[in-house]
Amino acid sequence: MVLLWLLLVPLLAGPLAFFLRKRPAMEATNVTAFAIVLALAATLVEQVLRSGPVSYWDGFLYADALSSLIVLLTAFVTLACSIYSVGYFRHDEQNTVFVEAEDVLGEMAAYKLRKYYSLTPLFVFSMLLVALANNLGVLWIAIEGTTLASVFLVTFYGRETSLEAAWKYAIIGGVGLSMALFGTILTYYAAHQIMGTDTLAGLNWSVLVVNAAQLDKPTMRLAFILILLGFGTKAGIAPMHTWKPDAYSEAPVPVAAMLATGVLNCALYGLVRFYILTSKSLGPQFASQLLIVFGLLSMGVAVPFVLVQRSFRRLLAYSSIDQCGVMVVALGFGGPLGVLGMFLHMTFHAVTKPLLFFCAGNIQQHVNTDLFRKAKGGLIHSMPWSGAAFLMGTLAVTGSPPFSLFQSEFTILRGAFGGGYVFSAILFVAFLVAIFSGFLVHIANLVLGPDPGLPKGEICRWKKYSVLCLASVIIVLGFWIPAPLYRLIQGAAGVVMSAP
Amino acid sequence: MSFLHDPQFGNRMITLMAALVLVLQISMVGQRWLITNIRMFGLQSFLLAAIAGTIAFFNHANHVYIAAGLTLVLKALALPVLLERIVARVGIQQEIEPLINVPLSVLISGGLTLVGYIVAESFYHPEETSAPAALGHNTLAIAIALFLIGFFMMLNRRKALTQVLGLLCMENGLFLAAISLTYGMPLVVEVGIFFDVLVAAMVLGILVYRIGSTFDSMDVSKLRRLRG
Repeated sequence: MVLLWLLLVPLLAGPLAFFLRKRPAMEATNVTAFAIVLALAATLVEQVLRSGPVSYWDGFLYADALSSLIVLLTAFVTLACSIYSVGYFRHDEQNTVFVEAEDVLGEMAAYKLRKYYSLTPLFVFSMLLVALANNLGVLWIAIEGTTLASVFLVTFYGRETSLEAAWKYAIIGGVGLSMALFGTILTYYAAHQIMGTDTLAGLNWSVLVVNAAQLDKPTMRLAFILILLGFGTKAGIAPMHTWKPDAYSEAPVPVAAMLATGVLNCALYGLVRFYILTSKSLGPQFASQLLIVFGLLSMGVAVPFVLVQRSFRRLLAYSSIDQCGVMVVALGFGGPLGVLGMFLHMTFHAVTKPLLFFCAGNIQQHVNTDLFRKAKGGLIHSMPWSGAAFLMGTLAVTGSPPFSLFQSEFTILRGAFGGGYVFSAILFVAFLVAIFSGFLVHIANLVLGPDPGLPKGEICRWKKYSVLCLASVIIVLGFWIPAPLYRLIQGAAGVVMSAP
Repeated sequence: MSFLHDPQFGNRMITLMAALVLVLQISMVGQRWLITNIRMFGLQSFLLAAIAGTIAFFNHANHVYIAAGLTLVLKALALPVLLERIVARVGIQQEIEPLINVPLSVLISGGLTLVGYIVAESFYHPEETSAPAALGHNTLAIAIALFLIGFFMMLNRRKALTQVLGLLCMENGLFLAAISLTYGMPLVVEVGIFFDVLVAAMVLGILVYRIGSTFDSMDVSKLRRLRG
């Protein structure tokens, strides 16, 4: 039952917000709905930890430790974003950001807010469906659904540049996902050969994983390449990452944060599911090599762009490409440690990245630019909380101790040396160090320095408290992981490792 | 009407129609007028629906009829009408300016067809599988060729609408692959994919419209503000 409610709540909240029209009502609908979703996700986690995989509707919906981890992270991120977005959009409305030239009646703000508050729940619905769908075809449909629901969130501000970003996002995503669909069709073909059924169960993951060892090898090889390219495009693996900086910098901050964590996790989740099937059918070697190559390429591509970056919103996007590379490489290293490291990293990244986006959003709204050159620096004087949190988040996301991403990256490295990938591990460390230095220099220049004499920021409570709450979660996670969460992450790694 | 029960006849019909689909695809690459391109896409989708219908008839696979019907209504009728209305609304120039000239483009398409056949060869195990799978051989090669040529069309053209058209051709290739390999996907998945394709086409259509009215042109090479 909990699976059904997890999907129904956001699905109903979208139309509800659409018909309520009034801003406070729409805000309340969103925050309440996502709070309920988080509570339901916690219930689901509790059930899965207690009694194993849950399924519903003849196995149409299915949740094991892996999917419930994704559900939990998605629910957490969306709740944080919905709380932040209340303050964020109120600020935009007060500063008449929404007003456009042809807006005679002054209805643009109401129209845009209505669009945001009714599309976001649908966006969240498709992200949750990705994790909960048992059928790999439905999983593909849901991932395509995340693109479709979020295109008009990227065009939110209606600038020329946001149109350009949305176009790249939709068209590159469309090509990528059609490759993934081809991979899904081939997987279905391979399954069709051994099971000979036309029913829905022929693509159900819980059925496929049992028979994975007999899947036709050449078919699965081609299918995995297509899936890696397809879902890799959605996750933003180089060289299909080019939509990412544009979409992340043009979308409103809450949407960008959801894209950078929720959608990234969903795309990687799809990749992991197919990775399990492929490594059962072909042995882990084939998939691992591809994953390591593409992962390291993503990390490497991000380095120069981080070093010479001019805009802090785009800087975050390149950091996200780098983090995505880290997770893909970790999956490629494989072994219990590599996979565990990947899921630890996914969890910590999903908690840390939104904080960076929120801080960047606060700063952008305060100084009205996202360019380092115009923002000058010394922002900690006018916005002490956001500035400090931004610096802390930067240290956390680049993997410096004591923050939790250090632990996960260290685990991944241990996995790499354990698996004998010495050369890759050296590259991995080199890229991490380069990104650490570039990122830290940029953010330190932005936040620290002499006081430029800007007016005091941070009047809005919603924005301030969402930043503070996330920051405290990150600090706590650096020293103490709650036992159920750790068991869930271990369970997710176990789902992958039970493969061979 | 005994030939209607002869699977060999069905096979030949399907191969013939698949060949026509490929011919249409390559002539789309060579065609310079936007409206003609859209109509060719409609005709291609119509042929795909016919292929699906034929497969459904000869293999008694009833759920494929639904896929055939959806293709006919959505891809052969609704989408071309939608795209033509966008062309009329935006009032754009009709002529497509490909980056690579037409003869070379057609030659490249021929090469991509060859690649399609080489890839499809690896799926062809006549000694292992029964007769219906052998039907997949030619059609699968054409499906992969459609997919690749569609991708090439997207790269080769600068108008936003023609890129959408290329994406839709790729989807057509996928539909043909699914039909020829496994008689389509499970019904729920099939319907979901159709829904997604329709919504994607509408979303892209709205974007094309807004790009056309904002930039006074649908030339996506003008979308160059965001870099680095």
